[in-house]
Amino acid sequence: MDIREWALLIFTTLGQISTGSLIVLMLVRAFVARNTGADQVNRLTDVPLYYVVPIMLLALIASLFHLGSPLHIARAVPNLGSSWVSREVITAVVYVIVAGIYTLMQWRKSGSEVARTVVGWIAALIGLFQTYAMARVYMIRTQPSWNTFATPITFITASLLLGVLLVAAILVATRSADDTEQTNLLRGTLRNIAVAAIVLVGIEFVVLPVYVVYLSTQGPAALESLSVMIGRLGGLLVLRLIFVFLGAGVLSFYLYKNASAEGKEKTLATVAYSAFILALVGEAMGRYIFYAARTHIGL
Amino acid sequence: MAKQLGFYVNLANCTGCKACEIACKDRKDLPVGVRWRRVYEYGGGEWVQEDNMLVPHGLFHYFVSTACMHCEQPICMEVCPASAISKRDDGIVLIDPDRCIGCRYCSWACPYGAPQFNAEAGVMTKCDFCVELQEKGEKPACVAACPYRALEYGDIEELKADHGKLNNPAPMPDPSLTYPSIAYTPHKDTRTSQSGGGRVLNID
Repeated sequence: MDIREWALLIFTTLGQISTGSLIVLMLVRAFVARNTGADQVNRLTDVPLYYVVPIMLLALIASLFHLGSPLHIARAVPNLGSSWVSREVITAVVYVIVAGIYTLMQWRKSGSEVARTVVGWIAALIGLFQTYAMARVYMIRTQPSWNTFATPITFITASLLLGVLLVAAILVATRSADDTEQTNLLRGTLRNIAVAAIVLVGIEFVVLPVYVVYLSTQGPAALESLSVMIGRLGGLLVLRLIFVFLGAGVLSFYLYKNASAEGKEKTLATVAYSAFILALVGEAMGRYIFYAARTHIGL
Repeated sequence: MAKQLGFYVNLANCTGCKACEIACKDRKDLPVGVRWRRVYEYGGGEWVQEDNMLVPHGLFHYFVSTACMHCEQPICMEVCPASAISKRDDGIVLIDPDRCIGCRYCSWACPYGAPQFNAEAGVMTKCDFCVELQEKGEKPACVAACPYRALEYGDIEELKADHGKLNNPAPMPDPSLTYPSIAYTPHKDTRTSQSGGGRVLNID
């Protein structure tokens, strides 16, 4: 894999972290708002929100390294009618703008709570569509290992998984220990996040074998991809599964347990950071395999 | 139906000399690694030990000279985000270097390996059917260079009417992916994309 594919690996992974985090934050806000006032909701979720737009900007900068003529990126949009790359780029830009407006509104507390929530959800839904567009880019009929249902499912699960774990890590890092109500909200949120992470890992572990079986029926190029995935890159695939299982599965379980117990703040922090890092490395390995195992139909 | 230009390759007469590839390379001054026209050697079978002799079993090989197919449904044009690829009224598919951003998405999509990245220029390039020569009434460089007259060009419907409808000798992919504008006369050993049974022997 050359430098240009690395650029895509970073672009897709960071981009998905950004959109996933925003969706998770909007969900967290909706959950927490049922039991407490807007002030407390804002105090809990404002800091993680500040990470969302800069991460997508980093992703977009990384994507430039994929181009032969990066200065001409603005020319990447005219073919919205048939190219998913155009749609991917334009939705990423629109996402940055709307999520940026939402972040500014939250920061300055401008507009009503309702107005801000509406803008936030619009940004989150654009983000979800952005991740879907990113997946559709790879679904071209001459690339059988990409052109399957598994591409959008894995992109969106990766996005949500890394999103929940990043939000958990930032929440733990920025917690205000001497505020009982915030601490309780944090504990409740972390428990929900842990459950979500375990469910998402479950989805990944169901999709992978179904994908492998499906790919084995899709002709010679697909079989070649499969042999790279479980042959030459088999070790990496196992490692990827272990990392995600440990990070998002096992550690989420501990996250749940520690979030339920009193006086475990330090352990909680270690668990939350490790879970995110392990899942990030695992997902990045998965994305590497995704690019490295592609086999073209034809010449 | 509008006119569609295409190539015709006589597989029975092609010896794999690669004069077409070199003529293309020279005419278009292509850098190392960029090969708009390539000559694939496709073959199979094996040598089996019998007593003290190695005996050929089902050995076959033949050559397929290949460039851009100027497809009826160019997938490169469909996926290009910059709308840099267009199809002219005569069916020729061209990349506009002033619009191309070098994302190389067309090279992921094309099943014929036609669009290739020119690192010096930072853009994708491919066979342009020597439009500048055709406008002067001359033949494309590859066609003019073939010593066996195994390579021709013209209206694809006429070429198919003259030479038959074979459009998928192995290692060419399933033509229903893009509907290539190509006609072939088969070699005696020609396999199709479906029957296969061999492999490309000379290009990775």
